[in-house]
Formats: sequence, C-alpha cells, structure tokens
Amino acid sequence: MSAGGDGGEAKGGLPPNTIIGIGAAGGLIGIYLAHFLPATFSFFGGLGAICAIVWGADAVRRVASYGLGTGVPSIGMISLGMGILTALFGLSVGGIAGPIVAFIAAAVIGAIIGVLANKVIGMGIPIMEQAMVEIAGAGTLAIIGLSTVIAGTFDYAVVLETVVSTGFIAMIFIIGGMGILHPFNANLGPDEKQDRTLILGVEKAALAMIIAGLASSINLGLGPAFVTILVGLTVWYISFNKFFGFVKRDAYAVVGTGLLPSEEELQ
Amino acid sequence: MIDLAANLLWMFLVVIGGVLISWSVHFVPVGGAPAAMAQATGIGTGTVQLAAGAGLTGLISAGYTMQVVDNLPLILASGTVGAMIMISVTMIVGTWVYVYGVGCVPSSAKVKVDPITHDRQDLYVSQGTEGHGLPTVSFVSGVIGGALGGFGGSLVYYALLKVGMGVAEVDANMIGLVAIFAVGIFFVNAVIPSYNIGGTIEGFHDPKWKKWPKAVISSFVATIFCALVAVIAISQLGGL
Repeated sequence: MSAGGDGGEAKGGLPPNTIIGIGAAGGLIGIYLAHFLPATFSFFGGLGAICAIVWGADAVRRVASYGLGTGVPSIGMISLGMGILTALFGLSVGGIAGPIVAFIAAAVIGAIIGVLANKVIGMGIPIMEQAMVEIAGAGTLAIIGLSTVIAGTFDYAVVLETVVSTGFIAMIFIIGGMGILHPFNANLGPDEKQDRTLILGVEKAALAMIIAGLASSINLGLGPAFVTILVGLTVWYISFNKFFGFVKRDAYAVVGTGLLPSEEELQ
Repeated sequence: MIDLAANLLWMFLVVIGGVLISWSVHFVPVGGAPAAMAQATGIGTGTVQLAAGAGLTGLISAGYTMQVVDNLPLILASGTVGAMIMISVTMIVGTWVYVYGVGCVPSSAKVKVDPITHDRQDLYVSQGTEGHGLPTVSFVSGVIGGALGGFGGSLVYYALLKVGMGVAEVDANMIGLVAIFAVGIFFVNAVIPSYNIGGTIEGFHDPKWKKWPKAVISSFVATIFCALVAVIAISQLGGL
C-alpha cells in the first residue's frame, strides 16, 4: 500500500524545460532585484520565490507521479532540508554571487541524493537524479527568495541577524515546503492536470509571500512590508480564483450542499 | 580560510549522528495513510513527520540542557530521553484512539506471535487489513527508534555548535544557524530511510527492517556532504 501517484510518467501541460527556465531564471532575477533595489522593492524576492516554488511543485509532480512508496510530503521536506543547508552555505561563502553558489551547491547535493536513491536504495524512478537536482535547487531559491523579502538583502550577516536568529527561518522552512509539496499532494490522482497543480503552487507561494511580508515589517518597516503584502494578496486573489475555476472545469459537477438542516427539517 | 582539519572530529560526529537518525527511522512503527484508517499496523502518519516530531523534541531538550552544562554525555542523554518521551506519548495516545475510538485490537500482520509477549497475532487481524494499532513489539521498537533518533539529533547539534564555538562567541545568530542546520540534516536523513522502507514498517520484527544497511550507507554518503557545507557555513561566523 503506497500513497501518492499512479506509477507512471506525468503527462500534459508545459514541457519541463520551460518550467525549469521560469523557475531558475525568475527565481534568481527576483532575488537579485530585491537585493539591489531599495527596501520598498523587497517584494521582488517574493516573486522570485513564487517562480522557484512553482518549479519545485512541477518537479515534485513529475517525480511523485511514479509513486514514491510513501507520502508526497516527504519529498517536499527533503527539498527544504537540502535547500536550507545549501542556501545558508551559498550566502556564507558566495558574497554577491551567493544565490548562484547556493544554487550550484544544491544541484551537487541533489544529484548525490538522487543517485543514492536510485543506485543504493533502488527506487527505480528513471528521472530521480534530475528531479532531485531540480527539487533541491527550487527549495534553495525559495528559501533565499523569502529570506530576501524579510531581510531586504541576501547579505549573510543581515540574513543571520534578521531571519535566522529571529527564528523566521523555521517559518520559511515550513511555508516554502508547503508550497512545493502541497500542490501535487492535493491534486494527485487520475484527473490531475498540470495547470491546476501549478496554479495551486502559485497560490501557496503567494500565501508564503504575504507571511514573509508580515515578518519583514520588523526589519524593513511598515512601508515595504505593506507593499509586499499587497502584491502577495493580489497574486493570491488572482491565483485562487484561477484555481477555483480549474477545479470547476475539471470536476464532473460542483454542487452546493446548502446549510445544515435544522432540527424541524430532520423530523 | 576555513580550517577543515580542525573540524574533522566534529564532522565525523555529524556523520555518525546522521547515520543514527537514518537507522532510527527503521525502528519507528510508521503506518502512513493506511494506518490512519486502521488498515495497517503502526502510527497513522508518515515517517518524516514521526521522525521529525521525536527528533526535534530531542533537539530541543538537548539544546535546553546545553544552556546549563557543556557535558556531552548529559546532553546526549537529555536528547535521547526527550525523543523517547515524545514518541511514547504519540504511540500511547494513538493506541487509545485505535482501541477505544476505532475499536480494534492492536495486532501485527507480519509475525504470527509477538516476539516479546508471545501473544498470537494472526487471529486478531481484521480481514482485508495489514494489522492495526500498536502491538507491544512495535511499541518497544518505537521507543528504541526514538532513543536512536534523539541521540543522533543531539549529536549533530552538539558537534555543529562546537564548530561554531571554535570561531566565535555563542550568540543568538550561532544558536539559530546551528539549530536550523541540525533540522536540515535531520530532515534529509529522515526522508532517505523512508524511501528505503517504502513508507510503512512495523518495527524491528518487520522483514523490511533488514533493508537498513542500504539507507544507512546512503545517509552516510549524503551526510558527509551535508556536514561539509554546514561546517563551512558555520565557520564563516568567525569572519563576521
């Protein structure tokens, strides 16, 4: 009895390379914009995190379709586990190239764990190596993106002071992981569609952005925090409506159950 | 530059901790989604959640002891006992739910008699299920798993904090950084064995338990690299 996935290749929708491009390029551009522009524009880090989380959700979708033998959340957790190690490593040694160093380190560790999963543990998922690289990279960019929203920069000392020692890093760990693991976990099944899964990823990432925006008010002040929350709310509203639209499109019927019957009606 | 040679002992301890975490997962009776519906023996949630719940409690109790004393055996004991208490509480409450809520007898479908109590198991397994609840052997196995996980987690935390102490004064930044690195290493080493056991295991009496060397080897290799990046990142605290 294994949970999750139907044991085959995920089909349909945008090709993987397009999503990889959007995730990696969008994530890095967002992070660098948030770093170089004034604090008011720290929301770009959140937009970068949205790109990265959508990429992560798509990679989870592709690998978990084969059936992991265990729940989908596990792969989101290993993504953020690898991500947190490599993100802080990259920022600590990379200086201005921090996010890129982190990204490369994530790819290396992801490849190692992917090879181990296939060769030693014998999971036998053909795309495991590539997917682990992608998942680690996406997790790393999501963590750096959300950290940049809170800190306004990805400078190691500032991130340590405002994100790590305050404990917001633990919150980023969970909300970032939620964005990567939840979309496929919620949508899996024979009727799974890529656009519905990914738009749920956008919605979760927007929620993460709103929460990171709230946290950023301590360090950056109310103005930038307000901008981040506003952008996050806008993205959330649009993506949630789209997701609900896709749910109605894919469902056989959407019916209201009405309110609970009153005691007289039950007689 | 970073002196890796000086930190070799601590890196070694991190790897040992990671391997212990990986091994510990094989002892925890994880039932996954089927157990949540009382259709498989074990606790009704995934490996990662259980290992993380117990292991992170171990980390917290180890960290708490570390405020008071800098003695490795005491810190390890605190982490071990913390994780054992957490997993025991989870399992006993789960058993109450299965026995009094669902109304099924704790029984294992993998063995005919409980290796510890020698009670017959197969008579009590409901048709169409792979056992349900937590028989004695699974409970004992879970406590052993909690002990190993808590021991490994606090070993990782202690070793990484020692790396930090070597380059700078202990402050909130260092504690936060070390704690989140320990959590990251913990999650990586909790997920690798969960792929090895395929999501569910009953405890050390389960045939799947014999697969543990595969996960331990994988965790050993993976943790070396995790320890490397963690030690480098923590050593950078000295330059701030």
